Parts: sequence; C-alpha cells; structure tokens
Amino acid sequence: METEVLGIAALSLKVALTATVLACLIGIPLGFMLGASRLRGRRAVLLLLNTALAFPTVVIGLAIYGLLARRGPLGGLGLLFSWQAIVIAEVILALPIATALSAAAVQAVDPRVRRTALTLGAGPLRTAWAVAREARFALAAAVVVAFGRVLSEVGAALIVGGNIRHETRTLTTAITLATSQGNFSLAVALGLVLLALALTVNVLIQMLQGRGDV
Amino acid sequence: MATFEVAGLRQAYGGRTVLAIDALAVEAGARLALVGPNGAGKSTLLRLLAFLEPPSAGTVTLDGAPVTTGAARRAARRRVTLVEQRPYLFRGTVEANVAFGLRAAGVRGPAVARRVGAALERLQLQGLRGRDARALSEGEIQRVAVARALAVEPLALLLDEPASSADRAAQQAMFAALADEQARRPLTVVFASHLLEDAYRWAGSLLALHQGVPSPVTPENLFRVDLPGGGPMQDVAVGPLRIVVVTERSGPATLAVAPDEIVLSAAPLVSSARNAFRGRIVRVAEHGAEMRVTIDVGIELVARITRQSFEEMALAVGREVVASFKSVAVKVF
Repeated sequence: METEVLGIAALSLKVALTATVLACLIGIPLGFMLGASRLRGRRAVLLLLNTALAFPTVVIGLAIYGLLARRGPLGGLGLLFSWQAIVIAEVILALPIATALSAAAVQAVDPRVRRTALTLGAGPLRTAWAVAREARFALAAAVVVAFGRVLSEVGAALIVGGNIRHETRTLTTAITLATSQGNFSLAVALGLVLLALALTVNVLIQMLQGRGDV
Repeated sequence: MATFEVAGLRQAYGGRTVLAIDALAVEAGARLALVGPNGAGKSTLLRLLAFLEPPSAGTVTLDGAPVTTGAARRAARRRVTLVEQRPYLFRGTVEANVAFGLRAAGVRGPAVARRVGAALERLQLQGLRGRDARALSEGEIQRVAVARALAVEPLALLLDEPASSADRAAQQAMFAALADEQARRPLTVVFASHLLEDAYRWAGSLLALHQGVPSPVTPENLFRVDLPGGGPMQDVAVGPLRIVVVTERSGPATLAVAPDEIVLSAAPLVSSARNAFRGRIVRVAEHGAEMRVTIDVGIELVARITRQSFEEMALAVGREVVASFKSVAVKVF
C-alpha cells in the first residue's frame, strides 16, 4: 500500500514537473514577445490567452483524447492512456498561464530597464535577460501558478490517462477513485500527500529565487 | 569629422510631430548643450541620437555612416550611450551595474574588474563598488550611471538633464570627470538641460529647442502668449505682468526678449524703454567676463551684463533691481 502511494506521488510529480517545465520553456519566451512587442493583434492574443486561463480541463482532456484515440489524427503514436498523454494535456493547460502571466510580468517591468540595456550595447538576448532578472519574482509566480494548476488537475488526467494502476494513476485521479469507492481515509491521506508535495515544490522555488538575489 | 549629422529629422508620436530638425552637425569631441523648456524635444532628440528609436523621417549619421536599419541602430548603440534623466540601475551591486556594458561588449576576465575600477575612479565612486545599487542616493545613482556609460568607452555620451538629481558638488564632480575624459580620449558629449546656467558653464556650444524646432534665440525669456491684436502697440499678459510689444499679429505666439536687451538699474529709469519691472535677483551665473542674472519680477527674466557692471552695482542674489527693455526689443514669432 505504502509503496503504491509512493509510486502514485512520484508519477504525479514527474507528470507535473515535466508539464510545467515544457509549458514554461514555451510560454515564458512567448510571454516575453507578447509583453515586449508593440505588434498589432497583441491585445487580441492576450484576450485569447486570458480566456484560455478559464478553459474547462475536461474539454481539453476531451480534445486531446480525440487527437490521441486510435482513430484520431495522432492515434498512430499510441500515446492514449500513457503518462505522456497526461503531460500533453497538462502542457496545453499550463501554457496559457505561463504565457499570460509572464507577458504581464514583462509589461510591469520599468521601461527604462530595456532602454538601459540597449543603450549599453546589449543585444536582444542580453536585453531580455536583463528584463527577466528585474521581473523574476513575477516570473517565478508564473511558474508556481502553472505548477499548481498542473499538479491539482484531475479532469484531463482522468480522460487521457485513464487512471490505470501503476501506470497513469496520479494523486488526483487516485483521490477521485478512492472517494467513489467510499475509501475516505485513503482519499484524505492522498490529499495530504498532494498538499505536502505542492508545499515542498513552492518552498524550493522560493529558495532558488532567494539565492539569485544579490 | 562630425560624430552626428542630422538631416531632415522628424519624430512624431500618435500623429503629432514633436521634433523637426532640418540639419545639425555635432563635431567629434564637441560638448553640446540642448536647452529649452520641458517638452521642447530635448529628450526625443537624445533618444534618436542614442538610436533607441527610429525617426519618423530623416536620417542620423554616426561617424560618417548613415544609420537607417534596425541592425545599423543595434551596431550604433555599441558606440553611443545615453544616461537618462532618472537613470535605472539594475538589481545587484554597483560593480555589476558598471560591468553590464562591458560584458555586453564581450569583455571577459580580469579586464572587466580593471575597467569597472577605472570608471568608478573617474567619478570618485570607488567606495560604492560593492554596494547594493538599490541603496544609493539619487546623486549617487546619477554618477554610477555616468560611470557605467563611460566604462564602455563610447564614441559619444548623451546625458538627459544630468544635473537634475545631483547636488551642486556632485554635479561639479560629474562635469569635471567628463571634461577629464574628453581630455584623455576623443569623446563627444551632448547633454540636455533646462537650466541655462549649466549649459553656459559646461557646454562648448548650445542648441536651443522650442516646441521641437531649433530656436533662433536662446530659450531665456521665452513666453507663450495670446496676442490680443489691434496692434501695432499691444499690451500682452505674461503671467502677472503686462508687456508692451510692437506687432500687428494676434492670437497664440511666442515672445522672446534677448538677455542683452535687458538693462538693470537700482531705480526706475527715465528712458524710452516702455517695459520696466521691479524684482529680486534669484540666481547669478558666471560665464567668463559676463554674468547672467535671473530676476524674479513675477516671471523670471534673465539679463546678460558684464562682470564689471555687476561688481560696480554691487549686485547679489536677493538684491532688488529694476529690469527695463524697449518694446521693439521683444521679438514675436
């Protein structure tokens, strides 16, 4: 029993971390471009992103299910009911969060930061890095919120993962199952593990952030 | 060779033209002051010379090469550095701030520390090297920003209101450091100031801007007015004063009284001057053999007189004087 819970917790963490890292790797640079650019259509994209923040997770799960199902366009990959399928769904859920929050973070940075970096001869990458450094608290918040969304997500994980024991059973889907089976004590125990996990990761991120502070 | 050459330069924001300079050349090694009231276009011109934004029309040539594309502006920014009116220091130490441009320029290893040290020394800031940049006073921030800009040894250094946040002594130190730097190596300096005293004291040449356009007169004693019309002699309200002006025009206009047209006297003169106002001396700036005396007569008037007259009349800040000028001396444009 205990090893099973540990396995479930480890899978949850693996899925959540992978999805958060992927979503942030794509979302933060995207947010930078949106936040820093003055292109036409920027507002429309931000509006879309903000709408996507409130997207029902089961709908995303359903869409991914349709894509990955044997007869779906990506059915050949054989990913349905695998942990990778959950990651794909979670990345799609976390991406708007990472993008919208980092765009807001970049927009909130003093415009002098960019001008100062540029006038001191910095290229686009070094300038972006200077902006990111000044916005790092808000960027870390984007990562934390994305991670929180992914870790606590249940609808999409259930649909595309299938809640298969030892394979795609995450903490949230396990809690759902335990509750429906009337095993409340197990559900509560799993819930506590989930909380502890969320707390630990947030503390780690905060510590990393603190260390970067000169 | 000229460091900057400007041709047909226009800058508009939201359809409103804020700067229009047909031609301007800033020679290498020059020390040019941009003067004019707030909103005259000084900061806009500096941002254009710093290649931080593209102009709406016209070109800026840097060191003989026209800078027209984004890539050319990027390259040009490695040779021109702007210190903003309220400079921004990055999170981190003073040292890390001064090293920023050096690292961007590809300087690595012990050379970074050496050049940071030299730049700080020029501004007498060695003691601040390890300090948190967020814990500095405004004057210190200003000087660190100048040190940071000088560290990359730019061809041209642009300063927007460099004296606005520094105290008088810090300001002296900063301008002296710039003069030293110019004596040491070729460096063109362009600075904006709304304080003419600073411009006259530190600049070799002067460009007056008024509403985005180079002004034919220095921006002392420039007043936006509404001409009542019905000239040729008009009584024009300027603040609490009424100035007699000779013009046939009516409606919005700018009045200019050249500082050398203003006569200072201890008592009202019996003369042909139709404008005479009593006030107190509020500032005095020395510029070689001449003095620029600012008198508060309800508005501030600047008079240019010789040092000899100044001393003979025993003038000083706080003294009451009468400022007189003829109505034909008031230019209307």
